[in-house]
Amino acid sequence: MSVPMTNELLSCTVDPAADPAARAEIKALLEACDLSYEPSIEAFVTLSRGRSLIACAGLDKNIVKCAAIAPAEQGESLSLTLMTEIAHLAHARGHNHLFLYTRPDNVDRFRACGFHRLVEVPGIAAFMENTPIGMRGYCAQLRTLRQPGRDIGAIVMNANPFTFGHRHLVEYAVAHCDWLHLFVVAEDSSFIAYRDRLAMIKAGVSDLPRLTLHPGSEYMVSRATFSSYFFKEKNAAADCFTAVDLLLFRNYIAPALGITRRFVGTEPFCITTRKYNADMKDWLQRPDSPHPPVEVVEIPRRTQDEVPISASEVRRLLAAEQFGRIGRLVPPFTLALLRGKYRPGRTPSQIPDPPTRADAVSPRKGPEPYENS
Amino acid sequence: MKIVREALAGTLESSDLMVRIAPHPDLEIVLQSEVMRQFGAQIEAVARDTLDKLGVTAALVVIEDKGALDCVIRARLQTVVQRAAEEWTAEWSALS
Repeated sequence: MSVPMTNELLSCTVDPAADPAARAEIKALLEACDLSYEPSIEAFVTLSRGRSLIACAGLDKNIVKCAAIAPAEQGESLSLTLMTEIAHLAHARGHNHLFLYTRPDNVDRFRACGFHRLVEVPGIAAFMENTPIGMRGYCAQLRTLRQPGRDIGAIVMNANPFTFGHRHLVEYAVAHCDWLHLFVVAEDSSFIAYRDRLAMIKAGVSDLPRLTLHPGSEYMVSRATFSSYFFKEKNAAADCFTAVDLLLFRNYIAPALGITRRFVGTEPFCITTRKYNADMKDWLQRPDSPHPPVEVVEIPRRTQDEVPISASEVRRLLAAEQFGRIGRLVPPFTLALLRGKYRPGRTPSQIPDPPTRADAVSPRKGPEPYENS
Repeated sequence: MKIVREALAGTLESSDLMVRIAPHPDLEIVLQSEVMRQFGAQIEAVARDTLDKLGVTAALVVIEDKGALDCVIRARLQTVVQRAAEEWTAEWSALS
């Protein structure tokens, strides 16, 4: 065995969960660089010289986090080596399309590593992706789906599961614009699987005119855009949390489709969603932007027996197997799907899909919209 | 040669290039280079010629160039195609 020469640069991959000693070193380096350690990181690339760790970068699925170079080593081209290693590690783990958050003053450094800035929250964070044709390609696809009209509406919907409340919001929106673009959150981290949420929405709005149903994308309410990447200033982090998602919508998605209005339901229960709605009014409408504003229309929730209908209430009733009460809150298709696939004690993966459900659209294949005309 | 999976080759170090390839309906090359203005057209011509000799007619190729020489560009492209192709059908002797 050869002992590495003290000035030789050594690159390693670290599993932070399995290697507490390496994890402690990484934490110390991040601390020195004024960054917080992210427990969601599954793998780190580290660069060491001799016995000292001088640079690291982590991967949380396809999001690069905690990229840091020791202050004394900055100015060398270590960032190129570091980002080469992270690109190959990500590729080996099945991730080719990468995102990253960084402080705005680091944008040029990552630009040299093949990343492209998408949006910037002034003074706080920049959001970048590792391809020049990611968002550009997505917007080009969206532009082919533009519809004529003056008031073009949009809703971004998770529908976990789809209720009469969602139906009410869509009906209201369709009546208050010339065309509605309805996006389904593609991220598969909800109780109800993406393909089932898409199927429920499709069934739930199939009779409504002037509407395009879009599969979601990574650029909208996804793990990437809603990253829990927290900078040291916790308040700034809370802002950054929704601002990136909303700026992507205002600066790219809305102009591609000519969207002038975004419809949301009031949120009486969930603090996160309530904050998202409040931040939406700010980021989509603030005047100091070169991009046209998007009017935020917030409508009161539909109620049943004087209680606002919510998907979380439906999930609660589902856990108690109260299908009779669920039936008062959701359309028949949703009820049948919940009965068939989401009964308590069964996980959706245990139940094979009926062949008729093969119409679900993969979120990665780009929009294959379903248009109601 | 048919590109059936995404692949990656090369580095971001000076005088090298990082190249990504992915299945695509037609041939599209997206080039970023530190020396775009002086050598952008030349780099793209070398890339097209290399892919042509490999028989790659449909792929999305994204190149991040750091001032690589032509021979390096050819080598990296050959490697990335080898990693992404269903089956290597080129004659090495015919590639130079």
